[in-house]
This record gives sequence, structure tokens and C-alpha cells, in this order.
Amino acid sequence: MAKILLPAGWTHGARTEFDVPAGPLMEVIKRFAAAHPAHRRRLLGDDGEPLGYFNVYVDDDPVARPDRAAAEIASDSVVVIVPPLAGG
Amino acid sequence: MEVPGAVLRLGSPPWMARWLESEPQPLPGAWFADETPQTEVEVPAFRMDRFPVTVGRFAAFADATGYLTDAERIGYGMVYGERFWEERRGACWRAPGGPGTDAAERPDHPVVHISWNDAVAYARWAGRRLPTEAEWELAARGVRYRIWPWGDRWVPGAANTAELHAGRLDALDGWLDWWRATCREHGPLPRTTPVGAFSPTGDSAHGCSDMAGNVYEWTASPSRLYADDAPCDPALRRVMGRYRVIRGGSWMNFRYQVRCSERMHGDPGGWSNFALGFRCAAPAREESEPDGTGG
Repeated sequence: MAKILLPAGWTHGARTEFDVPAGPLMEVIKRFAAAHPAHRRRLLGDDGEPLGYFNVYVDDDPVARPDRAAAEIASDSVVVIVPPLAGG
Repeated sequence: MEVPGAVLRLGSPPWMARWLESEPQPLPGAWFADETPQTEVEVPAFRMDRFPVTVGRFAAFADATGYLTDAERIGYGMVYGERFWEERRGACWRAPGGPGTDAAERPDHPVVHISWNDAVAYARWAGRRLPTEAEWELAARGVRYRIWPWGDRWVPGAANTAELHAGRLDALDGWLDWWRATCREHGPLPRTTPVGAFSPTGDSAHGCSDMAGNVYEWTASPSRLYADDAPCDPALRRVMGRYRVIRGGSWMNFRYQVRCSERMHGDPGGWSNFALGFRCAAPAREESEPDGTGG
């Protein structure tokens, strides 16, 4: 299983690390949001597609917005999602 | 404002995280761990602008240079709508809430929708620079640790935070209820206030205004932990070395996020939002040099 890591500021003290099935990045995010609806509004737009405003790092490498549709997540990868304004 | 050089213990002492966890605010203590441990830094004398850069001053820059901000170039700005953050077409410093809103009607408010590149470009034009985060914190609280620019006791009405508009707020749901009702009535117009509106009550140890709330302020400093082994939220750790430090909190925040030592981190790659501005700093004035900067 791959992992998704969210900022603690989004989870308000609850866990921030989640197991997710590997696959295309956009599908990984959509499946995660479906399984964890509390995070949906931060991750998906009204059209059900992943929003573009947050930054995505896969195994420490940033995934630029234009590259996300083609990105594949391996089963040993960690997907880190961080908003453009983070911390505190 | 002239700020004498000093040795500053940058950041918060250990009791601050415990105090934050004991207070009625929604964020976990770990989320604030990036402001610890305190680290000693030597800050040479410098000047800090008394106010954030206003719409009027930024307009003078844009008129003189033809400069287009990142939000103007890409065609949208980040605005918090009734649901969440959205990329609103046409939102930029001239139209801070999007089409139909006009910053020209409030030239004495801090300018918003300013990316890090925009802030640096303005500062260079003005013969100034962005402050480092150590300079920012020293200007906000002086050498002695204090929670807010005026002291350790929260003073309602001394700063433009969400509580100024919504009354006491302890939880995110209360903030969302206030903001959605405000959006329905007025649209997503940023709730900035004229610079200096809370002076002198809300002024800092060195006489700077609006250092708690009103707008988030860019600094020159790359985000980094105060110690390599410092505790840090794992997701936040990914942006260290990538983002730039933002200080002061904004009108969107509760009182806990406008503390002098509070740190936020912003993506310097062209991103901005409708609560994000900046102020400038400059080297200390030579003894024979007149003060003509307005700082």
C-alpha cells in the first residue's frame, strides 16, 4: 500500500497518515477523499476532481500541477499534500 | 521605525505549546512546534516600515513601472468562498474579492494578492527589501518575549483578527458560520482594515502597527526549522527549504495565530491569496542621513 500524509492542521489532532492503494495520482486522491469524506472539501472540487491549489510531493519530489495527471503512485510511495500556506 | 540591533531568542519557549493546547483553539500543539526551540540570533540594527504596504503605495509602483502581479498574469487569485479556497477568475490586488470588488475604494488598506515575487519587486523599486523573520519578530515584540505586540494579555479590539468581526471564536465551525454568512451578504471581500487603525493600542514594542493580524506578511527568510532535530509535523517538514516564512497572521485568523512568534510558511512560486501582503525593511540609517522613507 502507498501512504498519504496530510498536514496536522487539517486533521485537528487526529491521525495524519493513511494507507491508500497504489495507482494514478489523481485516482489515489479521489479514492482517498471518497474513503475519508471529512477531507473531501479540501481535496476535490465541485466536479469531483482533485483541486490544483495544494502542493503534492511524492517521496520528497514535488509533482508540478501539469504533471499530476500522468503521475503514478507506487505501492511503496508516500504522497504528501501541503497547502501553499502551511503551518501555525 | 528604527530598531536597534539586538541578540534575540527567536521563537517560543516550551510553555507556549502547552498553553496553546490548554486554550480553546482547534489546532494541535504539534502544529505550532515549528516555533520551537528558541534559537539565539544576532540582529543588526535596521529600519522596519511602520505599516504594511498599502493599496495606494502599490498602485504608485504599478503605475510607475507597468508591473503585473503573478495573480494578474495567471488570471486568478485565491479567495475563500462560501465553501473553501477557490481560484477565482479576475481576483487580484486591484479586485481583491474578484470582479465587482475594487481596491481603489480603500487605498489605505494593506494590499493583498501579493506573491513573494511581487513583494520583492515592489521592495526593490522602493529602495527597500523584505525583512528577515528575525527582524520581523524583533520589531514585533522586542527582545523580551511577549505573546502579542502589546503584551501577554489578549486585548479585544487591538488587532484585526476574525474575532474583531465575528466575536469570540474557539472552533473552526464558528469561523465557517461567520464567514459563510458574511460572504452571502457582502461577497468574499477581504476584511482588511486601514493600516494604523489599531494604533497606538495595538502597536508593537518598536512602534510598528498591524503586526498582529490584518494581513499575512512575507519575509525574506527561507523556511527552516530552528533546530535540525526539532519536532515538526511530517507534512510541514516537506516544505522546509522550499517555502518562505510568513508572519503576523491575518484578519482570517484567531488570536492564537497572530502571536509575535507564530510562523507560517508560504509557497514563493507565484502563489498569493486575498489575505496576504507584506511590509518592507531597510538598513539602519546613517547618523547624518535624514529619515525620508516614512518608515
